[in-house]
Amino acid sequence: MRSTLFIFLVLSGCEWAWDDQNFTREEVPRYRAHAEHPAPADNPVRLKVMTWNVKYGACRVDFWFDFWGDRTQLAQPEVEKCLHGMAGLIREYNPDVFMAEEIEVGSKRSAYIDMVRFFLENTDLRYAMYGETWDASYVPSEGVGRIDLGNAIFSRYPIVKAERIKQDDRTDQDGITRAFYIHRAISRAEIDLGDRRVAAFAVHTEAYDFDGTKQKQIKQIHDVLQEEALPWVAGGDWNELPPVCDESAEPGSPDSCEGRLRLSEFLDERASAKGTAYEQPPYTPSVLKPYYDDFTPSIPLARYGEGDDAQRPYFTHSVLGPDSVNDEGVAGWWNRTLDYLFIRRGESWTDADVLQEPGRLGITSDAPRLSDHAAVVGTWELP
Amino acid sequence: MRTVIMLSALCATVAAAEPRPARDTADVGDRNAWSFGIFNPLRYAFHDRFELQVSPLFFFVAPHIDARFAILKETKGGNRYPFGVRLTAEAGLLYPTLAMRLAKGFLFPAWETSQNDVGHMLVPRVGLVVSGDFFKYDVLTFRIDALLRIPMGPNSATPLNSFLAPLDILFAAPLTGFLGRLGGAYDHAFGDHLRLRGEVNVYLTGTQGNLHVDGRSVGAIAEISPWIATAHLGRTTTAARPRCGPATTASASASASAATTSSPPSTSSGQASNQARPTARNSMASPRCG
Repeated sequence: MRSTLFIFLVLSGCEWAWDDQNFTREEVPRYRAHAEHPAPADNPVRLKVMTWNVKYGACRVDFWFDFWGDRTQLAQPEVEKCLHGMAGLIREYNPDVFMAEEIEVGSKRSAYIDMVRFFLENTDLRYAMYGETWDASYVPSEGVGRIDLGNAIFSRYPIVKAERIKQDDRTDQDGITRAFYIHRAISRAEIDLGDRRVAAFAVHTEAYDFDGTKQKQIKQIHDVLQEEALPWVAGGDWNELPPVCDESAEPGSPDSCEGRLRLSEFLDERASAKGTAYEQPPYTPSVLKPYYDDFTPSIPLARYGEGDDAQRPYFTHSVLGPDSVNDEGVAGWWNRTLDYLFIRRGESWTDADVLQEPGRLGITSDAPRLSDHAAVVGTWELP
Repeated sequence: MRTVIMLSALCATVAAAEPRPARDTADVGDRNAWSFGIFNPLRYAFHDRFELQVSPLFFFVAPHIDARFAILKETKGGNRYPFGVRLTAEAGLLYPTLAMRLAKGFLFPAWETSQNDVGHMLVPRVGLVVSGDFFKYDVLTFRIDALLRIPMGPNSATPLNSFLAPLDILFAAPLTGFLGRLGGAYDHAFGDHLRLRGEVNVYLTGTQGNLHVDGRSVGAIAEISPWIATAHLGRTTTAARPRCGPATTASASASASAATTSSPPSTSSGQASNQARPTARNSMASPRCG
């Protein structure tokens, strides 16, 4: 009954209720900063690269799908304060190329602030592209309302071409939910460095599917990167753990994850999320193995190590912030790695790190309180 | 601009002898006159100049009542004002909290991990409606009204800002604290069975206000324009037209609306239909029903 009523109401408006992102590969708009920013070095031989899931400018406000809070909307000062904090960290690291995920340009929950424009005007990044992945006039769930979310690629060098590449949608949702749900896409930007052109990719794969959509998306990204002709860098939130082991291997076998990689029972998982649409699906780290075989990650597996203690410095995600405690009274902290930077095999990274907290690479920004993801950074020695 | 097409079926217990009376005018029924519809309000005139109305469809989830007082009205044997002008004052009271709470999880958060909720509130309404006759059966109506929210405790619900104009207007007063309307409508009769109505309205809502979480403000909600303009075109047809009696008269109406941000509708107390309400001119020729 509610669905029928909603369909009727939706059909009564002349504005599309949602954009089903019906494309395969298409060019998208590019943007330029209005403010004057320092020009970067001509014909660079290396690029400082950053990828960061910016959590729509919410910092550590707990939203309802995380089950630690039930916010669905932010006040304007909350978003502005958060964005200024993030811009401060970006200025500190001062990347040449910055890939942002969960960035919004006109969503009710983030006070309709154009975050692409905000970062352009408040960092030294001079060019940007925005690859929209979720555009709905009104999401009729929890009062979410208007949503315009996507990935963005920022650069200090001119972006001469920008496009987005459609990814598979989930198949485990009813039609109405699927229509109003996020439609993942790979963002690609061609950047003119003067003496050469490189490609940058920003990705963000599905987080809550139980039908193998994320695995399909991860494979598609791998294939797109394999086919890229230009020198490339890819960054984003893969929503998957590093392939330290094979999740399907029997305990005790050489490839077993036992004691080498935590696959479940993270400190920020709340029991009440079980059985809901936002339950954490089982991780399948082996799906990322081709990336480590065929590309060069910013943090190689040898550096990542085995077990929580070794891996902790490179964790990039925690639903629970440091000012909140879980049901056992343990404060939140980075507890898994989901975000990565990759370049082509044979190329190299220097000064790669995860900006988890003040002190990392000399930053002073309060990184754990700026997003539920930590920024992954590295210097790409250009081929 | 956005367009809203609304279809609704209406039923009434009475019929007019002449063309169907215009709806949503300043007409107040004579004593003991009544009307009832599924989507139109239940009305009963306790006096030649006073009637009460409620919308049965919404009453049990959003209790409300509206009173209408005829200030200028043509009486039997009395003077008829120029153009048959009649002026009616309206006042109403709405308690929308229950209906809004039913929409939690959809239009509003479910707030499953906190005590936040849609707050208790009362929404009084006052308004003035003036109608005049043109040609034989046409009616021109102007309306001005205002709704205010009287909070009765903490409230965490925020404005919808949907792209659905009716929803935004419907919830404007409970969620922004104010809704004012200035509107005009022209209702033309095409024979006995069809009426065409054109209507324009300008609405002014309250501000977006602050976002309240756990009883405290966390800052201002992003402002959007408080102005909403709507245009509306509708028709009313009569399928069968018996004289007074039980609910055997059926009519159907269809309408199309356009709005800059939204389209018409009203809060539950504002939706008036004069389905069985003869115009002042018609009332002299129509039987009294009820």
